[in-house]
Amino acid sequence: MSEGLKADLSKCTGCQLCAVVCSATHTGKFNPSEARIEVQDLFPEPGEYKLNYCKQCDEHPCVESCPVEAIKLNEGLGIYYVDKDLCTACGACVEACPYNGCWLDPSGSYSIKCDLCGGAPQCVETCPKGVLKR
Amino acid sequence: MAGDGYQGKVLRVDLTNEKITTEPLNKEWAKQYIGGKGLGARYLFEELKPGTDPMSPENILSIWTGPLVGTMTPLTGRYVIVSKSPLTGTFLDSYAGGYFGSELKYTGVDGVIIKGKAKKWSYLWIKDGKVEIRDAKNLMGKDTFKTEELIRKETGEKWARVASIGQAGEKLGLISSVTSDLTRNAGRGGTGALFGSKNLKAVAARGTLGVEVKDIDSFTKMAKEMIIKDVIENPDHSGMITDGTPILVQMSHDAGLLPTNDWHSGMFGSVDGINSEALKSRVLVRKKACFDCAIACGSSAKVKQGVFKGAWTEGPEYETLGMCGSNCGIKNIEAIVKFVEDCDRLGLDSISAGNVVGLAMDLYEKGILTKKDTGGLDLKFGNEEAYAKMPAMIANRQHIGDTLADGGKRAAKKIGKGAEKLVMEVKGMEYPAYDPRGTIGMALAYATSDRGACHLRAWPVAGDAYGSGDPWSPEGKAALCVEDQTRTSVKWSFIFCDFYSVNFPNMAKYYTAVTGVSSSEEHLRQVGRKIWNLTRAFNVREGFSRKDDTMPERLEKEPLPEGKTKGKNLPKADFEKMLSEYYKLWNWDDQGRPTKKSLQEAGLGDIVNKLPYLK
Repeated sequence: MSEGLKADLSKCTGCQLCAVVCSATHTGKFNPSEARIEVQDLFPEPGEYKLNYCKQCDEHPCVESCPVEAIKLNEGLGIYYVDKDLCTACGACVEACPYNGCWLDPSGSYSIKCDLCGGAPQCVETCPKGVLKR
Repeated sequence: MAGDGYQGKVLRVDLTNEKITTEPLNKEWAKQYIGGKGLGARYLFEELKPGTDPMSPENILSIWTGPLVGTMTPLTGRYVIVSKSPLTGTFLDSYAGGYFGSELKYTGVDGVIIKGKAKKWSYLWIKDGKVEIRDAKNLMGKDTFKTEELIRKETGEKWARVASIGQAGEKLGLISSVTSDLTRNAGRGGTGALFGSKNLKAVAARGTLGVEVKDIDSFTKMAKEMIIKDVIENPDHSGMITDGTPILVQMSHDAGLLPTNDWHSGMFGSVDGINSEALKSRVLVRKKACFDCAIACGSSAKVKQGVFKGAWTEGPEYETLGMCGSNCGIKNIEAIVKFVEDCDRLGLDSISAGNVVGLAMDLYEKGILTKKDTGGLDLKFGNEEAYAKMPAMIANRQHIGDTLADGGKRAAKKIGKGAEKLVMEVKGMEYPAYDPRGTIGMALAYATSDRGACHLRAWPVAGDAYGSGDPWSPEGKAALCVEDQTRTSVKWSFIFCDFYSVNFPNMAKYYTAVTGVSSSEEHLRQVGRKIWNLTRAFNVREGFSRKDDTMPERLEKEPLPEGKTKGKNLPKADFEKMLSEYYKLWNWDDQGRPTKKSLQEAGLGDIVNKLPYLK
């Protein structure tokens, strides 16, 4: 889990600016449902936030699960990303991921997950509370 | 992809005939009135027949977002309910933060206009372009927390955002609220009763359509900079970031204007038990933000021990700590957390609820109310056990709660025996937690607010009692109110949160970046003046005028007893002086009615013929 984003959840206030800027960067509009990061507010119990995103884990079961090899390695960044053009939206990676790190976009046409914005993750730059770090 | 921040659509729901239509947003109005308050006011002014009974099917209940809502503009994750208030009979705009506003916008509409009355209890389910009127049978009698949970289950949408009423709204209490995202309330003016009068239990939304702006790359870059420079590093926000509004409790106490024991004092001996320090050291769990907010003023709070152990809320914020705390003589923040959790669950406006419970305690101590009225409760100031039972008693209309459920003015009239002289309200809306005997400009702010006694249109206390101005001189207070009302009319149209200290130039900057429409401080000031004249004209058309812009007589007759405000009152003559000056500054007549000329100057020449008093 060395190359993905790190989060200090104790600082999270649930404002969703990470998801808002993520969607702007990846889709050209403001639409948190198309973001590669998901803020889960768990109130009143247990009174916490959870951030779902691809941790770029060492085991990467998503890569092995993909029947069409659409999850590829970006060698420069050392991370795995989804090649939209190859993805068939079968959902195998969504099932395989133990961290809720990827999911189908709202149109259901392909799987989405964090790609670190090509090296300068916008959520890290935007988070007003310093929750996220590269 | 390029857009202009608007979705360009308005949803219309006729509950009587179960008819749902979508129409294009009136773009000309959007340009003139922006969104939120202004746009909602214009639709309401146009479509609501004057003199309509607010609780009748003919009243219009509308929910609006604004052009910045759902974009990355900080502190704009909000919505507003616009209608004619059943509590006051005036124009009503009632706002809430949380996540419902942006979610509604993401369904692809700028606003929803609801008319009629459903044959049976229903809720509105809006999923992107699809809208359904659904049977609410399984939700009835359920509190707002449970209602949200059940709607998420029923729709299968874990991200459905829900604005619903609790038992208070179901029973048509006029101080009932609409609660969204568990703890956020479109609180004031009887929004819950409006839903209830239409057999509408909730509006739930799930939107995945997004919002497009003029140039997303340059806008995102600008928003990122503004979040840091104008929000996080803005010195106006430092107290809001560290403490949130509870920081005001101690400030108000020190200034001698913290409502205490039904407004009989401006200082509370047990302030240490309910101030921001108490909140932080005794109940705070974590800071919580609304959508798009870099401040996070919310305090997720939980009671750790004692009889109220386990009670949870987000907050309580200042108004609640004042009205439900010191004003009821409550010495421990844990009891307030319990009271507010119940207000949120049951759907009660905590400002009004704190007022009426304080009033009931006062009347009980005076012997005007007895245990027969209270269902056996020993309703003395500070009795936490009795106090904690009051929200449910009010919401469910049991015992004295049945009388209190319709607000202080109606309750006092019904109780009689001098109660009328105690109640602190304007146009039927209860006072917020700044005693004008320690900041007389607030009496003018409350009297001239377009929805009844409200602190969110003008807030002169900031410059005088909390600042360096003279809190007791009537000089200049009218100008402060006019300036604030102009600015907030614009702020509530975008819809910015109160807690973003955003100036005109920066509002213009966001507006232009999102919509592509050129703007400036002077342009937005003109919009603000126009909106304030419009809501005033609405109220005048409903029969309101100077006779209704009042101050409670206690402000004159009952000087405060201690501290900085010892012996202080507000002479009626000073109040009338401020009021006359205020009307002059707006170019209204001496009865507070916009004139033909003032309306034309405000750009409202087109409504002149819709105002019978001008004929």
